[in-house]
Amino acid sequence: MQISPLIEMRSVTKEYRGIPAIRNVDFKLLPGEVHALLGENGAGKSTLTKIMAGVTQATAGEMRLDDKAVSFATPGEALAEGVAMVFQETSLVPSMTVAQNLFLGEEKLFNRLRGIYIAAQQFMQSLNFQVDPWADVATLGAAKKQMVEIARAVRQKARVIIFDEPTATLTPEEKRHFFALVRDLKARGVAVIFITHALEEALSIADRISVLRDGELVISDDADRFDRDMIVQAMVGRSLSDELYHSHGEDKIRPPGHKVLSVQNLSMSKIVKNNSFSVYGGQVTGIFGLIGSGRSETAKVVCGIYKRDFFHGGEVRLENKPVRYRTPRPAVMDGIVYVTEDRKIEGFYESMSIAENIHRAAQAANVSPGLFVSYAEMKAMAADWSDKLNIRAIDSDASVIELSGGNQQKVVIARALVQKPKVVFFDEPTRGVDVGAISEIHQLINDLAEQGIAIVVISSYLPEILNLSDRILVSRGGRIVEEFTPEEATEERIMYAAVH
Amino acid sequence: MTAHQKTRLSLNQEQMVLAISGALFVIFSLTLDSFFQVSNLVSLLQNVSMLGILAIGMAGVVIGRGIDLTMVAVMVFSTGWSFVLFTGGMQIELALLLGLLLALAIGTVTGILVAYVEIPDIFATLAMATVITGLGRFALVPSDNIFISGDVGWLASLGTGSVAALPMPVVLFLVVACAAFVGLRLTRYGAFVYAIGDNPMASRNSGIPIRPIKVLMYSSSAFIAFCAGLIMAMTVSSVNTKLASSTMIYDIILVVVIGGIGLAGGKGSVRNVLSGTLLIGLLLNGMTIMNISYSAQNIIKSLILLLAIIVDSVLNPRDEQTSQQGDI
Repeated sequence: MQISPLIEMRSVTKEYRGIPAIRNVDFKLLPGEVHALLGENGAGKSTLTKIMAGVTQATAGEMRLDDKAVSFATPGEALAEGVAMVFQETSLVPSMTVAQNLFLGEEKLFNRLRGIYIAAQQFMQSLNFQVDPWADVATLGAAKKQMVEIARAVRQKARVIIFDEPTATLTPEEKRHFFALVRDLKARGVAVIFITHALEEALSIADRISVLRDGELVISDDADRFDRDMIVQAMVGRSLSDELYHSHGEDKIRPPGHKVLSVQNLSMSKIVKNNSFSVYGGQVTGIFGLIGSGRSETAKVVCGIYKRDFFHGGEVRLENKPVRYRTPRPAVMDGIVYVTEDRKIEGFYESMSIAENIHRAAQAANVSPGLFVSYAEMKAMAADWSDKLNIRAIDSDASVIELSGGNQQKVVIARALVQKPKVVFFDEPTRGVDVGAISEIHQLINDLAEQGIAIVVISSYLPEILNLSDRILVSRGGRIVEEFTPEEATEERIMYAAVH
Repeated sequence: MTAHQKTRLSLNQEQMVLAISGALFVIFSLTLDSFFQVSNLVSLLQNVSMLGILAIGMAGVVIGRGIDLTMVAVMVFSTGWSFVLFTGGMQIELALLLGLLLALAIGTVTGILVAYVEIPDIFATLAMATVITGLGRFALVPSDNIFISGDVGWLASLGTGSVAALPMPVVLFLVVACAAFVGLRLTRYGAFVYAIGDNPMASRNSGIPIRPIKVLMYSSSAFIAFCAGLIMAMTVSSVNTKLASSTMIYDIILVVVIGGIGLAGGKGSVRNVLSGTLLIGLLLNGMTIMNISYSAQNIIKSLILLLAIIVDSVLNPRDEQTSQQGDI
C-alpha cells in the first residue's frame, strides 16, 4: 500500500558559500512515523532538517508538505504549518517558569499568571509529563527541559517534530524516558524525525531509518531491514568491525603504575562533596556518572578550572606532594591537563588554524618557551601532531571550525598532549564525534596509557567506559561511590551504582 | 595569518575600505581645488597620524576582546603633567619619565580592574577615564591649556622634524605600526592576545596567563597613549586637557572598527588600522576643506561609526551560536 508522505523533499541541495552541504537529497516522511536520521558529522543531517523547519533555505529543489509545495522563510512559518524543531541547545528562557515558557509569545495584554499555571498544569497532565509548572526552567535537568520543549511543540499543534541529537546530553535513565515520550507522540499521530549518533537508539525506536553520507542520501528504508553493521557500512562507506565496542574483559588489563594523583575529601559548593579517589600511571581510570553527579566538576576542580572550597576543601596530592591550584595555569605547568567535553565553548580557537591552535597550547605550557613565535616550529609541530593523530583537513590553513567533529576533537586532544602531561582528564572524549574517529580516539587513549601516562576518562556512555577502563569508578551525588574491576563490571552493576 | 575563511572576510572588508578611500581620493581631487596639493596631502597625513598611533594602541586591546576608553585621558594628563613639571623647573627627561610612569601606573590599575577585579572592560575603562580626567584636572594640571615654553632640546624634532619630506609624526606613526606588528604577530605576548580574544575560556584552560596578559594589554595601550601625547604636544607646542572630554575616543574606535578589527576580538592586525586611518584621514581632510562645521562633521563621523559597528557585528558576530549558522 502506498501512503502519501507528509513531508517530501525532492532533490534538495543546499550550498554554503558555494560548498554543497547536501546534494540532490530525496527524503520522505510518512505520517505518524518515527524516522531516524543517521550519518557521520558533516554528512548534512542538520542541514536537511533545518531546511524542513525553515531555519535555513534550500539553494535548489522542492519541499512538499501534504503534497503542496512549500518554502519556509522562517521557523515561525514552519511552525504555523505544524513543523517544529527541537534543538540541541534548548530554546527555553532559563529564568522563567515552565508555565511561562509554555505560553511564551501568547501572553495576553494583561497576563494572568494564575490562569497560565492552571492551564499549564492541565496540559502537562494531559501529556503525562511530570514537570512542575512553577519550577524555573534553569533548575530543571536536561530531560525535563526537553519535556517542556516537546510540550510546547505539541501545544502549538505540531504535526512533525524534529529533534537534533536529542539524546546527546541525556543520561541513560533520561534516554529511556525520552523514548517513552517519542512513542507517546507517535501514538498521538505526530511524526517524529530524530538525528542521532547512537545506532542502538535508531534501531530500537525508529520505524524507518535514513542514512546520509557526504551530503547525499545513501539509503532510506524500514528499520527492521537494518542491522548495526549495515548502518555503519552505509554511514562510513566501509565495513567497520564490531571491535569498537567490545568489552575490555578479554584483553589484558594494565596493572596500576605508581600513584600519580591522590584526591582526598575534595569539596566544591554543593556539586562536589568529600570526593576521594586515586589515579595511577600507565592505566586508564574510567569515571562513569550521570549528568549532575559532579564528575566533570571534580575533574575541573583538580585541574584548577574551578576553585575548591576555601574551608574544608580537601586535598589533592600530585606524586605525593600537596597541590592547590587557583587557576589552570599551575596545573598545566605541573602536567595535569583537562580535555573538555564542550570543545566549541572552551576547547579551541575557532578562527585559528590547526597549527596555531596546537602551538598556542605549547606556548602556554612553556613547551615552546621562546619570546618570539617561530613559524617554522609551529608548522613542524602541526605536521607532527596531524600525523600522530591522523587529523585530516582540506588544507593546513583551514580554520578549526571548518573541520568535522572528529577532527576538531583530535585538535583539542593534540592541544592537551603537546603540553607533555602526566595526567590527562578526558571528559566525554567522543561526544559528537563520527564513528570512524571514535575508534581512533580510543586507540590513542590506549596508546597513551601504554606510554605510562595516567589517564582519566569521564563518560556517560557505558560501552566506552567498559571498553577503555582498567579501573571503573562510579560517581554519584558529587562523590565516587563505587569501584569496579573490568572483570566484575557489567552495564547493570555500574548503572545500579550510579542511580542508587 | 589567520585561517583562510576569516582572512577572506576581513580581506573583503579591507579591500572595501581601500576602494572607498580610493574613490574619495579621486572625488576630492576632482571637486576640491585645494585637495590635490602636496602641502595639503602632507598635512592630511600629519593630522591623521596621531589618530593612527592611538588607534594602534586601541587595536592591541580590542584584539584581546577588550576596549580602552581611557586612552585620551591618559594621553592628555600624563603628558600634561610632564610639561607642568617641566615648566616648574624640572629637568625635561625627568619630567617625561615621571609622566611615562604615571601613564603606565594608570594602565596597570585599569588592567588590574579588568583582569583581577573582573569588571567588564567597557565600564572599568569608562570609570577610569572619568577618574583620570577629574583627578588630573584637580591635582596635576592646573589649567586647560599647558603651553610649552622653554627649550625642550632634541624633543622638539619629534613634532617638527622631518625625514625625506615626510613630517616626523607620520614617520613615528609608521615606526609605532611596525613595532606593534612585531609585538602582535611575532611575539609570545601577541600570540596570547589573539588567543584570549578568540576564546578566553580555552585560553584559561590551556594555561595561558590571561590575567597578567590583560594587565600588559592595558599598560601597553597607556604607553602608546603617552607616546602619542608627546608627539602631539611637540607638534602644537601645547597640551589641551579639554581633549579628554572631547569625542576623540570615538574617532579612535571608529578607525579601529572601520579598518576591520572585529570588536569581538581575535581578528585583524596593524594593517587594518593603517587602512582605517587612511580612510578617516581622507574624510576629515575633505570635510574640513569643504568647510563643513565641526558639529556637522561629528554627526557624519558618528553615523559612520554606527554603520561600521553594524557591519562589524554582521561580519564578526560575538555570539558563538550565530557565528556557526553556516555550520553543516
